[in-house]
Amino acid sequence: MLDTFEILTTSGVVLWSRTYAPVSPTIINHFITDVFIEEKAASAGAKDNQPTASNAPYKYDQHTLKWTFVKELGVIFVAVYRSLLHLSWIDKLVDNLKTIFIDLYGDQLKKPNTTLVHCHKFDEYFDQQYQELESKGTAKGAQAVDTPFQFEEGAVSGNLGDEPPLPLGLKQRTKPNATVKDASPPPEPTSIGTPNTSRPSTPGGNHLVVGKGGPMTRMSRKARKMQHGHSAPASSGDEAPSRKGKKAPKKGRRWDADGFADEDDDVQLDYSVTQNTLTSDSEVEAAGRSTAVEGVDSTSWGTTTSKGQFVLKDLGDEVHSILKSAEEKNATSGATPRGGLVGSGLSTIGGLFRNVVGGKTLTKDDLDKAMKGMEDHLLKKNVAREAAIRLCEGVEKELLGVRTGSFESINARIAKAMEASLTKMLTPTSSLDLLREIDAVTRPSATSMRKRRPYVMSIVGVNGVGKSTNLSKICFFLLQNKYKVLIAAGDTFRSGAVEQLKVHVRNLKELTEREGGKVEIFEKGYGGDAATVAKDAVREAANEGYDVVLIDTAGRRHNDQRLMSSLEKFAKFAQPDKILMVGEALVGTDSVAQARNFNSSFGPGRHLDGFIISKCDTVGDMVGTLVSIVHATNVPVLFVGVGQHYSDIRNFSVKWAVEKLLSNN
Amino acid sequence: MSSSPPIIEHLKDALEYIFTPSAPVITIGLLIVFIVPILVHLFITRQTPYTSLPYILLAGPAGGGKTSLLTLLERGDAPAETHTSQTPHAVELTVSLDAGASTFREAAREDAPGSHKKFYLIDTPGHGKLRGAAMAQISKTGKTSQTQFGDSAMLRGVIYVLDAATLDDSLADVATYLYHILLALQKRTGSGRTSRSPNAVHVLIAANKLDLFTALPAVLVRSNLEAELGRIRQSRSKGLLDSGVGTDEIGSEEQDSWLGEYGSEKFTFAQMREFDIEVDVISGSIQEGNVDKWWDWISSRI
Repeated sequence: MLDTFEILTTSGVVLWSRTYAPVSPTIINHFITDVFIEEKAASAGAKDNQPTASNAPYKYDQHTLKWTFVKELGVIFVAVYRSLLHLSWIDKLVDNLKTIFIDLYGDQLKKPNTTLVHCHKFDEYFDQQYQELESKGTAKGAQAVDTPFQFEEGAVSGNLGDEPPLPLGLKQRTKPNATVKDASPPPEPTSIGTPNTSRPSTPGGNHLVVGKGGPMTRMSRKARKMQHGHSAPASSGDEAPSRKGKKAPKKGRRWDADGFADEDDDVQLDYSVTQNTLTSDSEVEAAGRSTAVEGVDSTSWGTTTSKGQFVLKDLGDEVHSILKSAEEKNATSGATPRGGLVGSGLSTIGGLFRNVVGGKTLTKDDLDKAMKGMEDHLLKKNVAREAAIRLCEGVEKELLGVRTGSFESINARIAKAMEASLTKMLTPTSSLDLLREIDAVTRPSATSMRKRRPYVMSIVGVNGVGKSTNLSKICFFLLQNKYKVLIAAGDTFRSGAVEQLKVHVRNLKELTEREGGKVEIFEKGYGGDAATVAKDAVREAANEGYDVVLIDTAGRRHNDQRLMSSLEKFAKFAQPDKILMVGEALVGTDSVAQARNFNSSFGPGRHLDGFIISKCDTVGDMVGTLVSIVHATNVPVLFVGVGQHYSDIRNFSVKWAVEKLLSNN
Repeated sequence: MSSSPPIIEHLKDALEYIFTPSAPVITIGLLIVFIVPILVHLFITRQTPYTSLPYILLAGPAGGGKTSLLTLLERGDAPAETHTSQTPHAVELTVSLDAGASTFREAAREDAPGSHKKFYLIDTPGHGKLRGAAMAQISKTGKTSQTQFGDSAMLRGVIYVLDAATLDDSLADVATYLYHILLALQKRTGSGRTSRSPNAVHVLIAANKLDLFTALPAVLVRSNLEAELGRIRQSRSKGLLDSGVGTDEIGSEEQDSWLGEYGSEKFTFAQMREFDIEVDVISGSIQEGNVDKWWDWISSRI
């Protein structure tokens, strides 16, 4: 069921984990990268202390991750399970464990300069919660079963028919210790696969039924564990917290020593027998009922049997009291008015004082007004509203409950946080060195088996943003570095487009004669298919020994489906190494839609590789378009155009952009 | 109305009492005068913990094993399981000066023999978007001198942890980050020329994961990195200017952004000596606990 549960800090250390089925660590790494660092996921961003249910589950490689995050302590709680399963109780489990863990080890987490948290005891708490919630979920599941279950009943009974169900089950249970311990890694597809995949709508119930009657030998370790959980549902509440190793022999002993005379075992046997004889719906209902009945029973006899169970029951109580007090705290904290008139007066004065001196703990009220100002500031800088709101929300979340430094005002703190936030957003994930990439393709090292081929770059964008101009600027830069460049006139639509490129090529030839670069134009006139022209150009470049192919394309409106659809074919035919989109700094809110539409127009698995922001010299400080497009696509900005000359193209510097965005004039 | 005259009378009396010189008034006044500044001072110093412990920075691309190394050195027996870090984290460690506890395993114990010296080991996230944290610790520009973990003048060394097993594929990224760190260190040395030069900062390139079959030995790691750094340096010099650079500062920027000996054909780590930066490449394996050489390196820097 549950594959892994992990508790880790934002600094990357796993504080506590429990693994039922080995899960590759890359899954959680991807989860952290996508959700927390790059904020790609739909509900991205580190939301503080939200219940698990409101954090969208993260899905990766057939696994689903449910998570919650405590910002104050920097702790993330993650549960990983197979996406095929539908486990309704996981949310509750994660939330409860969060509450318990924070309650028990919160002090240790606050200690600076150490990564050590002693939480070995948490095993017991986890087991207790796991068993409790799981059995609850099972009971619920069994009662809520409907039609799909009926269909599966045949398979189950067939299963039962194979071997004598009860004796074998008994035999297995007499020595469960050995089997549990020695069980080799479970043969997933055969054993777990069948019960789970076939009945996704009955999470717990199916295990219950199969576990009861099914032949134990053919079950995986996980399933067997499940069965142990259910074989004595009555004891689940009490036995749960004991360790795996301890639990098994205890169960065995009861079956062995007490035998059939024991009261509990009678119940057990009755239960399974009825279940075997009953069919479909009624059986399931009975199962559900019997579980419920036993669940009630357990409280009465659990305390009387042995010492060990006595202690365990206390643990359950402790857990419940922790959860209850946390709940109460939540309930009260929402609507507690601050003390009397004197108290509020003092706190206001203290607040004002701290506002100047610093050391003030920021609350939502403090932040709201200041954040509004920051949002307006960003909007003035031509950041699209959507992006501005996202940035401000992120910063507000980050700052809630934070103490300002000494002699630091709220606004200064917000500016600092916004700077960090903008830097994080604009910084590309990987390095962007065009020349090195070109070298890697055109002059592959002898050790790599790749063949030499030209590096293909294409440029797309809306009409009139400066595609051809920026193409020739890049061409000029490449020529200065002594590359042989072929320019393909892919704009076969607008009259004059080919001639315009010819003029550029003539100029560039003259300019770079001394430098040693070589540039030619590849054109097929007007009216042809742009994708075919591009393909031919790449072939020609490969034959003639060019280093780089630059493909110009026709400008197109981003919301015109007919024009955009041809881009997919283009990407397939030309196979560009880099697709760059030119966006102008002048455009406002529309930049978000432009970037999004272009980014998704190249078919599955292909998207933009970078942006060129043109006309940056015309907007002064208002470079908000940069933020808008990066916000919309997570694609980095490569170049910015800063003038009319061939040399007026610059590498994008994050520091420069952030300074401009936050400057006050 | 009737009650106001007595109140005013009382106030008058009180004022008169305060302004008349007398022993209790003077003592209380003196107490206030002396104690209030002390309290304010205590209040403020408590807010900003004054730390002057030397520190060593862990940097490197994601997945290299920085956090693992941190936990291994702290725990002494085995590294904790780790995932991608999002925040920097400092850990206080102890080295002993004499040969009492020569390995980190002994030093991690409470009762380690010999005399001790404490230092911080600072783990930084290696993800591309979060490398600013490490760079901020290194660079010393104006107000950011007081960084999150103390004065950047206390920086003693940088351990650049990389995955030697996958270096072939990730060489470009690994070298780019290293390039930025070395350049920042070089500028740091350069910037201190006017006043006293900052203490030398050395770099240890820790080629981790030697236990894996595909891991490159230290010699190869060194030569690969040197070659790649040379290429980066070359293409940087030919590349476009950054958007932030104005036309007037082009000339001055040129000299500074060249890593190593200016105009040299090939880059070698030895060129960094000119800037008081020693670069060592030592391989090891965190998984096998084979980090004693790195620990020796740390001990010699503190």
